[in-house]
Order: sequence, then structure tokens, then C-alpha cells
Amino acid sequence: MVAPTDKSADKSATTKEAKPEQPTQQTSTAALEEDDEFEDFPVEDWPAEETESAAQTASGNGTTQHLWEESWDDDDTSDDFSAQLREELKKVEASKRR
Amino acid sequence: MDGLIRQFRVAYAATNGEQLAETLTPDVQAHSAKLRAIWGPGDLRSMTADLNFLFHQDQARLSIRLSKEETSGWYAIYTAYWKAIGEILAVKGLRNGAQSSWAKVYEAWKDLTLLTIRGYTNHDFENWTIPCLYVTGRYLRLYAMRADAERVLSSDNTAIDDLKDDFDPQAEENKCLEDCARHLNRIFQICASDRAPLEESRKWGVYYAVNLLFKTYFKLNSEPLSKNILRAISAGRSDIPPIDKFPKSQQVTFKYYEGVLAFLEENYVEAEKHLEMAWLMCHKDAQRNLELILTYLIPCRLLTTHTLPSAQLLKPFPHLQKLFIPLARAIKKSDLRAFDIALRDGEDEFIKRRVYLTLERGRDIVLRNLLRKVFISGGFEEAKNGAAPVRRTRIPITEFTAAMQISGGEAIDADEVECLMANMIYKNLMKGYIAHERGTVVLSKSGAFPGTKV
Repeated sequence: MVAPTDKSADKSATTKEAKPEQPTQQTSTAALEEDDEFEDFPVEDWPAEETESAAQTASGNGTTQHLWEESWDDDDTSDDFSAQLREELKKVEASKRR
Repeated sequence: MDGLIRQFRVAYAATNGEQLAETLTPDVQAHSAKLRAIWGPGDLRSMTADLNFLFHQDQARLSIRLSKEETSGWYAIYTAYWKAIGEILAVKGLRNGAQSSWAKVYEAWKDLTLLTIRGYTNHDFENWTIPCLYVTGRYLRLYAMRADAERVLSSDNTAIDDLKDDFDPQAEENKCLEDCARHLNRIFQICASDRAPLEESRKWGVYYAVNLLFKTYFKLNSEPLSKNILRAISAGRSDIPPIDKFPKSQQVTFKYYEGVLAFLEENYVEAEKHLEMAWLMCHKDAQRNLELILTYLIPCRLLTTHTLPSAQLLKPFPHLQKLFIPLARAIKKSDLRAFDIALRDGEDEFIKRRVYLTLERGRDIVLRNLLRKVFISGGFEEAKNGAAPVRRTRIPITEFTAAMQISGGEAIDADEVECLMANMIYKNLMKGYIAHERGTVVLSKSGAFPGTKV
């Protein structure tokens, strides 16, 4: 128990010396704030109209469906791919025969 | 002091907890003149004389009835508050050259916090006053973090060599915050264990206290402790009022942390539920919080429903665009190489946010899309006498090998392809079986790729 108290004592001594350097302190506070911590809301409570849900459904005709998309893209399944695939297939077959 | 106590009386007469808590805010940015007035000449004797007069002799003018117990509780609280204000003004350089440190501010504020807790255990404070616990708890945490940062900053110069073997830098780094967590836990206990009827119960303070604890435990990287809290309130859920009876700020914060906890346990279905609730209920102007919620909700959605964020959803968040758009594009285009590159480019940030492993699993979706593309480009079998055309379901493995080579940009072994296909089937991303001897995959005639309309 003795060692830690000693340590904190001489640390607070160094703290005092470092004190006048206001700028360094400022940056450390900034670093704290850019952290990924969930922020306090400026108000305790709010009406339903001020929720994200209300804002988004208003812009999307009553749903939030428009905010999420399917993960595949059928427009892309063109003849290009088929041609490319046939091309590559030849290479695979060739390497197999070897 | 006079003004402060007058404010106290007004709040007390109105039994307005928020207003009462206002008398204990130490916000030096917003109220520096007010705090300096409270501190006055900084003379302890005259301050106690003031408090004595205001609390004891001036009782006649009190429009409120304070019991002897309550009076002594509040008396001690305002004395401690006054001392803490002195340290805060000093650390901010607002006290005629007097100096202090965040460590001292923390200690002074801790005294105030402990006295406030005592108000409930020893001085019959009523439940409407619990916002006072919130304000002390909230600033206790902030000062603990400042004190820790200050110490780390000042010890940066000291050599590491003379440290002992059993030295734990993590614990040392967060010494004040660890201490703070214990006091916040006390606040939580004080609220959760109240046996008074619900209307006058401190149970209404539970979620505020829990949210403070979550923030603290996350900062300390001790999620298991957060899980303990979750368990504690779910066990007593019958007598804690349902979450939807609490203010939205508390609901959203709680749902966010509950969601992230489930996320970290890879329970994505559960996580999605909580995070979506948080997102829907969040205040529309709280951009930073919305961004944080989406940071976890997007990877969740990718794995649970295989959906991607639209451009419109990401529009207000340039940072999220930078993180997720390259990945989303690669997934849509079923481009394995682009996916790997995007994952690598964002690696540091993904790991920091702890979404890397989740996103990595998104590679399955890229692969699923690629296999689906092979299936579609295989076209249809010749339709038999007017029946609806059926897609070609017997596909040589070589076709898949070729596709993976195109997409991945490098040669791939046939065995590895088969292994990946088996995985797809196992994960129910693809329906069918592998006929190994014939080097063919036989896909299901109905819904070979569940949920994707083929």
C-alpha cells in the first residue's frame, strides 16, 4: 500500500509543474471527446415527431424500407459475365489437362 | 450561497427534481459567473455561517418543511459542493491564480457524490430528488477521466524501466475511472434495491445509473461487468418499470449498449433488434449517436438479413460512407478481390470499432452472389411441352472455379472450391449437394439461393 501512495504523491507534484501548459491539456480533453462514446442527449425526452424514425418515414413514403438494399445486383448479371466465364473456363479446363 | 439556497427552496417547494439537480451542476463553461459567486471570497468560515443561517435560523422564511435529517443531509451536500467548486474554478484558472488538478477535483466531487448517496441511505431523501444522483454521477465520471488523462500525460516523461514486473499499465492508466465505477455501482444499487411503492421508488433512477455504468465499463474494456448489470436488471425486471416508461434519452442509450453487448457476443439477431430500436427512437439531430448506432447496425444487417445500407441512409455520414461503401460495392458486384482490398484498407478502423470479424463474414455474401451469378448465367433447361422453364441446376464445379478465379484475381484449387461450396450449403446460403465423383453441383430447383428470388 505504501508504494502507490508515494507514486501518486510525486505524480501530483509533476502535475503541478505541467499545469501552466494549457494547450497540452486542451488536446487531451479533445482526445477524450473524439472517442466512440455514446453522447449525452441535450434533452431528456422528445416527442415521437422528433425521432429518426419519424424523419425517415416522412422521406420514404411511410416506411424505412428505402434505406436498405438487397445485397445482390441483378443488373450486373449481363452477357459480359457469361462471356468472361466461358473464357476463364477454357483456362481451367486447359490447366486440368496438363 | 444565498442565491443557490433560494434556488434550492424554489425547487424543493415545487418538488422539481430537475430544478433541484440544477443547483448542483458544476458546468463552468455555461455558468462561470454563477459558480464564482457561489465560491465568493473562498472563506470556509463565512460559507458555513451562511449555510447555518440559511438552513437553521432562516427556517421561518422557508416555504418548505425539511426534517432535521434532511436538513443535515443537504447542509453537508452544499458544503461539499462549495469545496468542489473551489477546485474546479482553480483548475480552470478562474480563482485568482490558485492552482489545482483534476485529481483534486475528482476527490472533491467524489466527496459530494458519496454525501448525495448518503442522503438516500441516512437522510430520508425522497425519490423525486434522484436527478441529484444523476448529476453527481455524471460529472464524477467526467472528472475521473480527466484525472486519469492528466496523470497519463504527466507520467509520459517518467521512465518505464523502474516499473515493477507486476505493474499493470491498463489498471494504472484508469485508476480514477475504476474507482468511479465502484461509486456508480453504489448509485445503481441504491436505485435498484429500493423497496418503496413504485410511485415513490428510486427504481426510476435505474436506467440512468445503468447507462453511466455501461459507458464506464466500456471505457475500461470490462464488458463482462456490463453483462452482470444486464443480468441483475433482468432478474428483477418484474419490479423495475418497463423500459418504455423511461425518457427516450435513457431508452436509446440503454438500447445502444444492450445492442453492442449482444453484437460483441456475436448474437446478431438480438443485437439487430436492440440497435434498430435505438436507431428509430434516437433524436433525429443527434448525428454522432446515429452514426455510432449505424456502425454496428450495418454489419448486423449484413449478416442477419443480408441487406446493405442505401446511399440515402449513409448520406449524412461521410465517415460511414468511407468505411462501408467500398465493402457494399464489392458485395453487390460479387467481387472477392475488391472485398478483400476494402476490408484491408479499413482494417485499423474496423478493428478499433470491433466490427472487423463481423464484416469479414460478409465474404460469404460476396461468394453467394458470385455463385448465384454462375447459376443465372447458366440459363434455362429446354422447357418440356409448355411447362414453365426451369433453370439449369446441374453445374460443373469447374464453372464455379472459373468464376472464383475471375472474382478473386488468382488461381484457386478445385478442392478449395468444393470446400467453399460445402460451406455455403452448410450455412444455408445455397441449397443443393455436391456430386464429388461427377465433379458437379446439383442445386435445388426451388430456391437454390434462399431469399434472393432464384
